[in-house]
Amino acid sequence: MTLPGGDAAAASTGSATRVYKPEMPRGWWLRRRHYFQYMVREFTAVPMALWLLWLLYEIQRAAGGPKVYYPSVSPAFIVFSVICLGFALYHSITFLSLAGVIIHLKFMGKAVPPRAIVAAMFGLWLVASVVIAAVLIGFAR
Amino acid sequence: MAEKRITIRTTRFDPEKDKAPRLQSYDIPFSDESMVVLDALNHIKAHVDGSLSYRWSCRMGICGSCGMMVNGVPKLTCNAFMRDYWPRSITVEPLQNFPIVRDLVIDMEDFMHKLKSIKPWIIRNQEYPLGAGEHRQTMDQIDEFRQFSECINCMLCYAACPVYGLNNEFLGPAATALARRYNLDSRDQGLKDRLPVLANAEGVWECSFVGECSVVCPKGVDPAKAIQQTKLDTTTRFVLPYGNREG
Repeated sequence: MTLPGGDAAAASTGSATRVYKPEMPRGWWLRRRHYFQYMVREFTAVPMALWLLWLLYEIQRAAGGPKVYYPSVSPAFIVFSVICLGFALYHSITFLSLAGVIIHLKFMGKAVPPRAIVAAMFGLWLVASVVIAAVLIGFAR
Repeated sequence: MAEKRITIRTTRFDPEKDKAPRLQSYDIPFSDESMVVLDALNHIKAHVDGSLSYRWSCRMGICGSCGMMVNGVPKLTCNAFMRDYWPRSITVEPLQNFPIVRDLVIDMEDFMHKLKSIKPWIIRNQEYPLGAGEHRQTMDQIDEFRQFSECINCMLCYAACPVYGLNNEFLGPAATALARRYNLDSRDQGLKDRLPVLANAEGVWECSFVGECSVVCPKGVDPAKAIQQTKLDTTTRFVLPYGNREG
């Protein structure tokens, strides 16, 4: 094992001490499981962004009204959508699970347990999903 | 019975001679199950190679001086037991993300500057005379900040933070945790003095919540929590009416 590449011409600090400045290796995120999971979490934003771009395109296609619009039913698109759904679920679950760390709430003078905050987040997610689904189904009819 | 031995590989770097750090192996006796990595370094320095340089002081996980990378993980070497690694060899390197001064000694100037910038002391608008008595706190008020006050400035969290490794302008985990420790203290009135440092582009918003800082902390502090809660606080203060008017 060797140290990653760095500034071979040692730089100097205010105290005139020569130091070696190592650089982060490009594969730093492969070094530990936690780093890798973090990168996967961040990466999930990419397919979600691509799917949203496609949604914008579909909205633009639907501008002509229901008589001229027909939804995409190609198998490739359905597979892409299912993969994106997987990424979206992973992103949402990991994000909401962290709510207990982020939110610091007090009720009746006592701190609300992180578990209760996370449960409330998942509950709100479920309610929002049901409401959005009901609205979309209502429009479809 | 043959003597139990273990191989320790340590970083060597002499700024007068070397262009880059290198690893050197030492084969030493592992005679005592209670030996920690710091004991191994002390053995090398005392019996094998007196030129090996590293920092240490209390040997009991209090001073925060002996933080190093042990097999790639930031650890207090006084708290890293050799029995957890044996019979594998142990590689000891300086804390990553910091400039190396010599061997296992890092330059901590950047951290000290960041620590000072968040003013880690109690700030009062008006100091009371000593004769006015103490600032009383309830246990609930102490519990608000207690865990963040456990930080010993060992810098393991900086070594674990890839965000700091990629951009050392980032304020970083320990400094933010200590800022939150004082911001949550009922005796403190220094929030306004700390906000410009915490809420600027290189403050809490640089953090993308890797979370490894909290994993490696030897004192159970949760700097990732401090950073995320500070994000929420600064946003709330910005969004809510009169949020920026400190009472």
